[in-house]
Amino acid sequence: MPWYTPLFQWLSGLFFTKTADISIVGLQASGKTSFVNVIGSGQWSEEVVPTVGFNVRNVRKGNITLKIWDIAGALTRQFQPIRSLGLSLSTGQPKFRSTWERYCSGVDVIIFIVDSHDKEKFDAARFELHQLLSYQTLAAVPLLVLGNKNDLQDHATVNELIKALELDKIRSRAVSCYSCSMKSQHNLDIVLQWLTKHSH
Amino acid sequence: MAFASKKDDEGLSAYYNNKTTVIQEARVFNDSPISPRKCRALLTRIVHLLYVGESFSAQEATTLFFGTTKLFQHKDSALRQMVYLTIKELAGTAEDVIMVTSSIMKDMQPNSEVIYRPNSIRALCRIIDPSMAQGFERFFKAAIVDKTPSISSAALVSSYHLFPNAKDVVKRWANEAQEAVNSKSSTSLFGSSASGGYLTAWGGSAGQQTSGYQAVPSTSYITQYHALGLLYLIRQQDRMAITKMIQQLGGGKTGAGTTLKNPMALCMLIRYAAKVLEEDPNVQKQMLDLLDGWLKHKSDMVNLEAARVICEIKNVPTFQLMRAIGVLQLFLSSPKATLRFAATRILAALAVTHPSNVASVNVDLENLIGDANRSVATYAITTLLKTGNEASVDRLMKQISGFMSDISDEFKVIVVDAIRSLCLKFPDKHAAMLSFLSGVLRDEGGYDFKRAVVEAIFEMVKFISACKEQALSHLCEFIEDCEFTKLSVRILHLLGIEGPKAPQPTKYIRFIYNRVVLENATVRAAAVGSLAKFGLNSNDSGLKKSINTLLNRCLDDVDDEVRDRAAMYLRMFKECLLADAYVKEESVFSLDVLESKLVSYVNDPSASATPFDASSIPKISRAQAAADSARPSSLETVGFPSKKEVTPTPQLSAVETQSAFIQQLKEVPELATYGEVLGSSKPAQLTESETEYQVTCVKHIFAEHVVFQFNVSNTIPDTVLEQVAVVMQLSAETSLTEDFIIPLPSLSAATSPGIVYVSFTRDSPEEYASGSFQCVLKFVSKEVDPSTGEPEEDGYEDEYQLEEVELGAGDYIIPTYVTFSSEWDRLRGGASATETFSLSAMESLKAACDSIIEILNMQALGGTEDPASTTVHTLQLAGMVVGAGGSGKALVRCRMTHSKTQGVTLELSVRAEKEGACGLIVSAIGG
Repeated sequence: MPWYTPLFQWLSGLFFTKTADISIVGLQASGKTSFVNVIGSGQWSEEVVPTVGFNVRNVRKGNITLKIWDIAGALTRQFQPIRSLGLSLSTGQPKFRSTWERYCSGVDVIIFIVDSHDKEKFDAARFELHQLLSYQTLAAVPLLVLGNKNDLQDHATVNELIKALELDKIRSRAVSCYSCSMKSQHNLDIVLQWLTKHSH
Repeated sequence: MAFASKKDDEGLSAYYNNKTTVIQEARVFNDSPISPRKCRALLTRIVHLLYVGESFSAQEATTLFFGTTKLFQHKDSALRQMVYLTIKELAGTAEDVIMVTSSIMKDMQPNSEVIYRPNSIRALCRIIDPSMAQGFERFFKAAIVDKTPSISSAALVSSYHLFPNAKDVVKRWANEAQEAVNSKSSTSLFGSSASGGYLTAWGGSAGQQTSGYQAVPSTSYITQYHALGLLYLIRQQDRMAITKMIQQLGGGKTGAGTTLKNPMALCMLIRYAAKVLEEDPNVQKQMLDLLDGWLKHKSDMVNLEAARVICEIKNVPTFQLMRAIGVLQLFLSSPKATLRFAATRILAALAVTHPSNVASVNVDLENLIGDANRSVATYAITTLLKTGNEASVDRLMKQISGFMSDISDEFKVIVVDAIRSLCLKFPDKHAAMLSFLSGVLRDEGGYDFKRAVVEAIFEMVKFISACKEQALSHLCEFIEDCEFTKLSVRILHLLGIEGPKAPQPTKYIRFIYNRVVLENATVRAAAVGSLAKFGLNSNDSGLKKSINTLLNRCLDDVDDEVRDRAAMYLRMFKECLLADAYVKEESVFSLDVLESKLVSYVNDPSASATPFDASSIPKISRAQAAADSARPSSLETVGFPSKKEVTPTPQLSAVETQSAFIQQLKEVPELATYGEVLGSSKPAQLTESETEYQVTCVKHIFAEHVVFQFNVSNTIPDTVLEQVAVVMQLSAETSLTEDFIIPLPSLSAATSPGIVYVSFTRDSPEEYASGSFQCVLKFVSKEVDPSTGEPEEDGYEDEYQLEEVELGAGDYIIPTYVTFSSEWDRLRGGASATETFSLSAMESLKAACDSIIEILNMQALGGTEDPASTTVHTLQLAGMVVGAGGSGKALVRCRMTHSKTQGVTLELSVRAEKEGACGLIVSAIGG
C-alpha cells in the first residue's frame, strides 16, 4: 500500500462519504445482533448472548458510515433461558413495542429481521411489524425486511414472506424484502447496496 | 463566600431552571450528526436541574433518559462521561432503564478504555435489578481488584450500593475487597501498562484513532477507604470478624504496621473500633491501645478522630483521656480554622461529661474567644461556660452577646442551651442570664432558635422562683410580636398556670387580651383559656368581673373553638363545681391505660351501644405525668449537636406493664370468655434471682375468676423442660375453686420466659377471696444433644418448690389519683368504716406508711407517704376497688401517732362507693 493511501482514503471519505442511521428490530433470536456483527466485522458466531436493551455500533463500509441501533427483541432479564421467553413474545408486550418506536424515530432506515425458518412466529412478527409502522413518527421511513437463516431447510421464500407479513399492504413508504443468511453471508451484498441507496 | 454562590445561583437559574425548555431542547439528541458541544451543555442542564431539586415526572424522565441513550458510544469522551452521569441521575425516575444494560456493559469490558470503565460501572449499579447482580459477579470481582484505582473504587462503591438488595451475592466478594484494602498500589508511576487492556483501539473497523491510557497510581489510596467500607458492610453482623479486621489493619500497638495509607480509611477504622469498644468491653484494652497509637499518626484527621472517639468512650481511663485532650490542645493553636473548629467542638462535647478535665485547656480556649471564625469562638465560649467558675460568667456573657448577631441560628441554639444549663448551675446569676435571653429573644431568628430561648426561660421559671415575675413579663413582651403560633400557645399556657400565682396577676391580662384581639384563631383560643384561668383561680371579685366581661366579648368571635371555650369558661364562673373539676383538677388520666381502653372500645362493635366509661381509668397526678414524659435533663444533653440519639431504656410504669399483660391474656383462648381484666398485680418473684429456674407471678382479677400467670424462665442452656405446670395448693379454706392449668409444652433457654396460667373461679364474686397458696413447679427435664440440638427421648420428672403466692386485698385495688379533700367530702354519705389499730411492731411512722401502702396497693396523695413529723401524721390514700358489679372508688385516711413505748397507733377511716370495699380494706389491715 503506497504511503498516500490512508491520506487519500481520508480525503475521499471527507467528500464522498454517505451516512445512515439504521434501526434493526425483529423478534427474539431472529439474528439482529448477528447481522450487526457480520456487517461490522464479518464474524459470525453460533453463540450470541441475547441483547439486553440495545446496542449501538458505528460501522464503516467503503464509503458509507452506518450507525446501527441493535434493539433487543424482548425486554428481557439477562441470563434467562431464551426458550421460556419465546412463548411470551407472541402476545406482544406493550413495553417492548414502545421501545422499538423510541429507537426507530429519526433513523434513515428500519430493518426488520425475520427468522424465515420459524414459520410459527410469522403471525407474531406481522403483528409487531404493522404495529410499529402505524406510528406517526415513523411515517415514510424506508423499510427493509430480511428473511434470515435461508441456509436452513424449509425456510420461507421471499414471496411467502411478503404474503405472511402482508408487506403488500404497506403504503407510502419504500419497502424491500430479501431472503438472506448471516451464517453463509448470502445476499448480504444486495442488502448493503440497498442501504447505500437509502443513505445520504 | 456562601453569599457569592447564592447570587451566582440566581443568575444561572434564570437560564437553567426551566424544565420545559430543557425537555424541548432534548431534540438535539436525535440530530445527526450529533453535536457533542450542544448535547453536553444540555446534559449539564438536566443534571443541574436534578441537583437543585427539580423533579421530573416518570414520563419526562423516560423521554430524556432514552434521548440520552442515543448518545451512547460517541467519540467525544467528555460527552460520554456526561451521558453516564445523566443516566445515573435519571435512572431513579425513568422507566425501562434496564434497556441500556447491554450498552453499558460494553463500556465496562476490560478492553474498553479506562476513562469510561468507572463511569459505566457506577451507572450500571443504578440500572440493574438486584436479581441480576449474580450475573455480573465475575466482572465485579475482577474490577474490584483492578490495578487502576478509579475502576477499583467504582466497583467497590457500586457493590456497596448493591449490597442492601443483593446481600448474598455481594458477600461473596469479601476476598476481593480485602485484597483491595491491602493493595499497596503496586503500579509505579512509570509502570508499564503492558497488560494491554489499557491500550485499545476503539471504534472497531474504523480504528483510526487510538488513544492510550496509562494507569496512574493513586496518591490518595482512596480505594482503601471504599474497600474498607464494603468489608465492614459485609461483616457488620459478625463482631468477631470486625474485631479481627480492626486489629489486622490497625497495625499493632504503634500503628506503624498498618497497610492503610488513606487517612479517611483510618478514620473509618477508628469509628468501627469505637463501635466494637462500645459493644464488647472485653476488647477495651486492645482497642484503647490502638486508639492511643492513632493519636500520634501523622495525619491531623486521624488524630482528631481518635481523640474524639476516646473522649466519647464512657468511663475511659483518665490518663488516656488526658492524652487525647493534650492532642486537642495542640490543635487549638493551629493556624487552620478547620482544625481549631474540630478540636473546640470535641472539647465542647467533652465538657458536658468531664468539665474538670477540660478545664486544663481553659487558657488556650480563652485565646479563642476572639477568634475570627465565629463558630470556633462560639464553641470556645460555650465550653468555657461549662468549665468555668461563677466569676467568669459575666465576662463571657458580655463577649458572647457581642457577636450573637454574627453567628448562624444553629450556633445560637448551642449558646442558648449552654446558658440554660448555666442558669441551673449558678442560680445566682439568673438576672444577667435572663436579660441576655430576653435580649436574644428580640433578635432575628428562626423557629428552632426562638424555641430554644423560650424553653430556656420556661426552665428558669420552673426552677428559679426568684426570676419568675421578670421572666413572665419578658415572655409577655415576646408574644406581643411573635410570628410562631406554637410558641405563642405554649407561652399563653404557661401564663395561665403561673400568672394567677403572681403578686399582681392583672398586669398580664392586658397582654393576653391583646392576643384575643390581634392573633389567629389558634392563639385566640389559647388566650381565652389562659384568661379564664386568671379569673377562676383568683379570689378577687373585681378581677373575676373584668375577666367575665372580656370572655363575654369573646362570644362574638368568628372561630368556633374560641367561642366554645369562652362559653365553657363563662359557665364555670357560674358553677364552682365545674371549675373544680376542669380547671383546678390536679390529676390527669393515665394515658397508656386510656389509650388501650379506647382501642378496645373502638374495636368492639357491640360496645358502641353504651358510651365510653372513663371512670374506670386510673388517674395520675400532673407531677407524675410530667415525670413519665420527662425528657433527659437539660444538663446532660446541652451544648453540642449529638449524633447519637439518646435511646432511653423505657422504664415501664405500672400502668404500662398492665397494658402489656392485658395484651398477653387476650391471646389465650381459654380465658377469652372471662371478660375484661379488672386488675393485675405487679410481677412478684417466687425464686431467687440466680437459680436455674426463675419464676415470677402476676395475679389477674376477673369478674368471676382469678388467674395466676407464672412467667417461667429456664436458664440452663442444654436442657429442655417439657409439660411445665405449676401446682397450687390452697393453705386454708377460701371461696376459690381451681378450674384448670394451662401448662407449657416445652421450654428451653432460648424460648424463655414461657407462661403457665392457673385459673380459679370465685365462688361468690361479691366476696374478696384471699389466702395463700403453696406452689410447686412440675416438669419433665430432658437433656439436649449438643450435636443435633434435639432433646433426648427420655427425661425425668422433677419438682421445684416455689415461694408462696398471696392473694390479698391489694390485688383487688388499683391505685388512682383524686383530689382528696373534695372527694372525701363527696363520699360522706357512702359506705364508711373507722377502726383503731395498735401497730406495736412498727418502729416509725415512715415504716407504717410504707407497709400500709404496700398492703393496700393504693395511691398516696399529696406527698403524705413521707411523714413530716415523727409523732403525728395523716396518710391519705386513694384507690379503685374492682368487683363484679364494676369498680368503685375508695379513700382511706390513716391518722397515726407514734411513741417509743407503744409503737404506732393507727386510726383507719375508709370511705368508699361500695359497701364491700370498706370491709376489704379494714380486714386487710386487721388480718
